[in-house]
Amino acid sequence: MSKSISLKHKVIGRRSTLLAILLFLFFIALSKQFDPYNQAQLANIATLLIAVLSITLLTGASGQISLGQGAIMAVGGYASALLVTRLGYSMWLSFILAIFVSALFGLFLGLAAARLSGPYLAGTTLVMALAIPSIAVRFEPFFGGDVGINVDYGNPPRWLTSFVGKISIEEWSLYVVLPFTALALFAVLNLSNTRAGRTWRAVRDNEVSAALAGINIGRTKVIVFVCASGLAGLAGALYGFRGLVGPSVYPTDLSLTLLTAAVIGGLRSIGGAIFGTFTVVFLPDLIERITSTFEVPGAIANYLPGLAIGTLLLLTVILNPSGAAGLNERIHHRIKKTISKSGGH
Amino acid sequence: MTSFLTAFFSGTAQGAIYALVSLGLVLVWRGAGVVNFAQMGQAMFTTYIASQLIQHDYSYWSAFVVALFSGAVLGALVDLGLMRPLTSRKNLKSLNSESMRTAIPVIASLGILGILKSLAGIFWAGEERGFPSPIEPTAIKIGSTNLAITGFDLFVIGVVFLALGLTTIFFTRTGVGLAMRASALNPEVTRLSGIKVGSVRTLGWAISGTVSSLAGLLVTPRTNLSPNTLDLLLIIGFTAAVVGGLTSLAGSVLGGFILGYVISFVSVYSAPENVFIAILIFLLLALFLRPQGILGSKEVRRV
Repeated sequence: MSKSISLKHKVIGRRSTLLAILLFLFFIALSKQFDPYNQAQLANIATLLIAVLSITLLTGASGQISLGQGAIMAVGGYASALLVTRLGYSMWLSFILAIFVSALFGLFLGLAAARLSGPYLAGTTLVMALAIPSIAVRFEPFFGGDVGINVDYGNPPRWLTSFVGKISIEEWSLYVVLPFTALALFAVLNLSNTRAGRTWRAVRDNEVSAALAGINIGRTKVIVFVCASGLAGLAGALYGFRGLVGPSVYPTDLSLTLLTAAVIGGLRSIGGAIFGTFTVVFLPDLIERITSTFEVPGAIANYLPGLAIGTLLLLTVILNPSGAAGLNERIHHRIKKTISKSGGH
Repeated sequence: MTSFLTAFFSGTAQGAIYALVSLGLVLVWRGAGVVNFAQMGQAMFTTYIASQLIQHDYSYWSAFVVALFSGAVLGALVDLGLMRPLTSRKNLKSLNSESMRTAIPVIASLGILGILKSLAGIFWAGEERGFPSPIEPTAIKIGSTNLAITGFDLFVIGVVFLALGLTTIFFTRTGVGLAMRASALNPEVTRLSGIKVGSVRTLGWAISGTVSSLAGLLVTPRTNLSPNTLDLLLIIGFTAAVVGGLTSLAGSVLGGFILGYVISFVSVYSAPENVFIAILIFLLLALFLRPQGILGSKEVRRV
């Protein structure tokens, strides 16, 4: 029995490695077809995907909601930007350290709110998201106030350009982000099949029975939030290094967009997270293209992406709460059923 | 001394508005187990309706009444059209875990918030506009000395106390109010005693919509009106509800006034920029020290 379980684990480990590598290659292949603008969008997707995965982890695995994942991204962003500009750390090291700083921040916030059942975490993270700009202004000499801190990915190193030829800044940003995205994907894929992942799901599905099984629920919820914060912090650091770490980069709308991506894709599915991230990044572009063709006045066009995303969120929740991934599953189920029926003749 | 009085009176007037917001949140939380993050979005929308009416030469008071009424309708619609169907579908696979059942309505309320904000932006353009008050916000004078309170502050305090008094009478003296309290306490038993729990819950949403609409009308003369103006009011109301106790109506009002004083004293004695940080610190302190709130009856489940 134990042997078969350990065997299964190995298989899963191999599968998640494969998936992570496949995603990596898929993004690179896709970027070769794109112009610099869309390459930058692709890098955005790869970055935001990490943050959406953190929501999938948090809500999908433990059932809690964060309305301020953007605020935790800001923590990671400021941490890495300060480490690079003040202490002269290398960009790569600062990304890794950003994970720890934001996880620590998540621990503090989690100890206050995540251990409680109820709307406390959702509300507290929302307050956090709205407070970020005024914290940045209040400690202006440190955080750079309204403007923020300028940081960037730098230029592609010589060895890379000599290897693949001249590459644009946008393509380089994609190369910086992708390894982290693949790692995050690998981690999240594996986590759901470990003992910790099973514990989290037990807490999500029924707190009382999980408590009876000897799980410390408060502690489990805080740990999930800490892990999710670490991921979000990494995403925030990568997001900031596109050019600027500042309050305007991490607005409240960002947090809600991330949540929307996770919900429309399906809160429990990693494939859903990928689908949702693509949707929320490319949907505004698509709408802009449509509005410019039909010459919709700017005052209205500005609000259309928000309207579309809100409607999408609401429709998903009403029609299909398990998101695109759930829809996919249902269709599969239907097809299987039909096949087995016709095969039975 | 003058700055103390200024802080005290403006804290009372602001606190009265926060008390309304927090009361609205707690009403829905007790009745439906949802924190309605769209609440101030609904209020923003009804305040825009009032503003449109006033621009078309209707009187302030008719606009006032229409806004309150549309607040009630909007609240009831959210419950009937969205929240009730959502929570009644327990057979869905993704809704079979208790935490997801609580998460889904919150996500739905965020969707409503997004839609209401964008619609307001599309209908009434995005730029800020002022909102009139029936009484000039100038300081009251006795002889030649200015008092630290304005006529508008007094108006706000008066209206809010009237509303709170009516709510108290409603909940303690009327049958419907009692039914609402009963169904918040124990819906199963209440249903068995012949009360339509669903309708009572919808009424809770409607009252919540009305009081938050009132809060919108009272706060916008000071803050101006834009699709995003009332976001701040929502998080202040949430903090007030947590401080006072999410399960207690009286606690929510108390929390509102406490927040009013905290914010007003911070902005008078420190700086207005520090208000956000003060709210955040206050919320975290409340969560660490007394998560069930000052008057919260039930112990928060710290499993």
